[in-house]
Amino acid sequence: MTMNHPYDDFPHLLFSNNTATATSTSSCVEQHDGISLDMDWDCDFHNLIESMMSDKGATTESPPLLPCYHGQEGIFNSSSTGSSMADELDHDVEAGESKGLRLVHLLVAAADASIGADKTRELTRVLLAKLKDMTSPNDRTNMERLAAHFTNGLSKLHKEANVQRQYGPHQHPDHVYDQVDVMLAFQMLQNMSPYINFGYLTATQAILEAVKYERRIHIVDYDITDGVQWPSLMQALVSRNTGPSAQHLRITALSRATNGKKSVAAVQEAGRRLTAFAESIGQPFSYHHCRMDSDTFNPSSLKLVRGEAVVINCMLHLPRFGHQPPNSIISFLSEAKTLNPKLVTLVHEEVGLMGNQGFLYRFMDLLHQFSAIFDSLEAGPARGFVERVIFGPWVSGWLTRIAITDDGAEVESVASWPLWLATNGFKPVEVSFANRCQAKLLLSLFNDGYGVEELGKNGLVLGWKSRRLVSASFWASCESSE
Amino acid sequence: MFHAKKPSSMNGSYENRAMCVQGDSGLVLTTDPKPRLRWTVELHERFVDAVAQLGGPDKATPKTIMRVMGVKGLTLYHLKSHLQKFRLGKQPHKEYGDHSTKEGSRASAMDIQRNVASSSGMMSRNMNEMQMEVQRRLHEQLEVQRHLQMRIEAQGKYMQSILERACQTLAGENMAAASGGAFKGNLGSSSLSAAVGPHPLSFPPFQDLNIYGNTTDQVLDHHNFHHQNIDQNHYTTNNAADTNIYLGKKRPNPSFGNDVRKELLMWSNQDHEPIDDEHRIQIQMATHVSTDLDSLSEIYDRKPGLSGDEGNNCGKLLERSSPRRSPLSPMMNPNGGLIQGRNSPFE
Repeated sequence: MTMNHPYDDFPHLLFSNNTATATSTSSCVEQHDGISLDMDWDCDFHNLIESMMSDKGATTESPPLLPCYHGQEGIFNSSSTGSSMADELDHDVEAGESKGLRLVHLLVAAADASIGADKTRELTRVLLAKLKDMTSPNDRTNMERLAAHFTNGLSKLHKEANVQRQYGPHQHPDHVYDQVDVMLAFQMLQNMSPYINFGYLTATQAILEAVKYERRIHIVDYDITDGVQWPSLMQALVSRNTGPSAQHLRITALSRATNGKKSVAAVQEAGRRLTAFAESIGQPFSYHHCRMDSDTFNPSSLKLVRGEAVVINCMLHLPRFGHQPPNSIISFLSEAKTLNPKLVTLVHEEVGLMGNQGFLYRFMDLLHQFSAIFDSLEAGPARGFVERVIFGPWVSGWLTRIAITDDGAEVESVASWPLWLATNGFKPVEVSFANRCQAKLLLSLFNDGYGVEELGKNGLVLGWKSRRLVSASFWASCESSE
Repeated sequence: MFHAKKPSSMNGSYENRAMCVQGDSGLVLTTDPKPRLRWTVELHERFVDAVAQLGGPDKATPKTIMRVMGVKGLTLYHLKSHLQKFRLGKQPHKEYGDHSTKEGSRASAMDIQRNVASSSGMMSRNMNEMQMEVQRRLHEQLEVQRHLQMRIEAQGKYMQSILERACQTLAGENMAAASGGAFKGNLGSSSLSAAVGPHPLSFPPFQDLNIYGNTTDQVLDHHNFHHQNIDQNHYTTNNAADTNIYLGKKRPNPSFGNDVRKELLMWSNQDHEPIDDEHRIQIQMATHVSTDLDSLSEIYDRKPGLSGDEGNNCGKLLERSSPRRSPLSPMMNPNGGLIQGRNSPFE
């Protein structure tokens, strides 16, 4: 059966007029062997492709905004890169098909085909094979390497679809990296980008301010990972309290059933490390581990002490390799409200949660997000390692997640976390001048191109060029006293 | 602006307009006919701390502040006016009608005049407030910078310790499995930080490290925290220099046939996954100091403190300065399975 590859015609379709008009692309919406690309190939997607086609050096031009970001431009507009979207449109696009453009085409095509009906399975396989052929995690340009990871992720999805789709939460990545590898890569990532530490340090600053006059502090941490967030808090407490005014710190870390006993052990290990650190600097500290046996969080399983200020810490932006159902987060936040927390810190990626936008849209958003992150990382010999160990599985995890929710097996019920909090009994807590200052200072340590923007009165957003990457916001339960 | 500055000494070094003497109590008083108190940065910091301890400028009273500060010679009068100014600084939109005695206000205005470099005449109250606000903000920014440094440092130390722990465990596992002394040497505690730990002043960006050759002409500037230099991104520090050195090292490790940097280059170019244990350990080892290998022809620069010696560049590879340890000392024993083999917190 001869496969009709509609996507091979794309270059001509898109650039036949050599303008940015959208009309020339609307002919894409055709039926080919039951495949329909029912997409709105509007102006902005065109720009996206164009921006991705430039293979100049190791970085791509700043990707233009996807439609949904128009309203949130703030400081993140393309003029910060020195070129406007109009300039990009004027590029001579007929200078051959660049590989980057082809890759984006193929990726989007493969993504679309992968969620199609049965007939598209063969198409998917062919497209993915082609992509695999064209890319490798060691390629020269960011786009090529990123495409390799996306190809990999899509392949896994495809494979699973062919076998029997598991709606289980746990994915088995192709290559299980050792814990040390992951830890090493994680730390290297912190040196290459402020992505992780922006969340940690901003949240920590807000916590310090909120609990300034409290004698006892109790932090309930949804996802403690290695506990890397907390030493800086401990240090700050020690340095500002002397003698009898020492504040006691307690951390309860959650482990979720969906992640199995590995995560239990990891949480416990984090506790040991934090306890040792606290002792070494003389910070009164105690640690507890709370297991979430299902997706529901039960606050009564926490040990509470009278007179302590409760802080809820929710770091959702960290690289996750498995699938995290949003329900457990929802349950956690809802139930935690009953604890009357003095502060809720929420840090999350600016991707993925779009409500019901459809797989393809979210796929492109994901591509956009990771392109920005890839571009923003500092170059260096460690980079390939970090990309392989962290980004590969991270991309795969995300792809699985958006595929599952697209299936309808799971409803992505949260369009935006801040919105959810605002409408579920939480009130905003203002970001301080010191916090904004600290964020800017942090960014100054890295590549030019990062920016921090205010998110209402109670949040900060870290972005790379025109793309928002991760945002931190602060809340308190409506009943808590100020 | 981002350099950590020590608070200026009590002798008012940052401003030497008026003549000042330091009394027995440690307070700085001016020498004009009616001695006035000079609110130095240090004194002000103590004031701010005291106010914070008492629950904020609205809750604190001059009396309690005086008690908490415990500074001899400080009178209620001083504190009253300073507290008032402080409150004003915090709430620039406050109504003027709330102020206390006119005398107090006038005294405040004159205090500010003395404290400010301008020699113009009487300033309006608005200007005073703005001055206070600006000073407060500057002060706060300095604080933020200082705090950030310490926090980053704390985090770095912690990360170093957990990585060390993980490596030890892993190495211990490999000791059992590996055939014969491939991995000699202790993991120097300062060494891991080279790979990943952020230096107090910065996170060393790897891009600045030229690991594939000597960079005798590359000057690595430690204290380059300058805002102005963002285009170059030379936030390299001792740490970075060390990393550079470590990565470029020639390891006499028997398993390495070649230069470790070639090994790294090869490794990073291969499209193989997963990395087998031995290679990975060695890669990691390559980022550590191993200070007890006799056959080392090049020795690492001992990681200096912030002693400000400029140009700590890779050309100094040949300096022998690291402490000697007993050669062939066994690997640190894994700490009884603290970290079970394959737990990944990222699952």
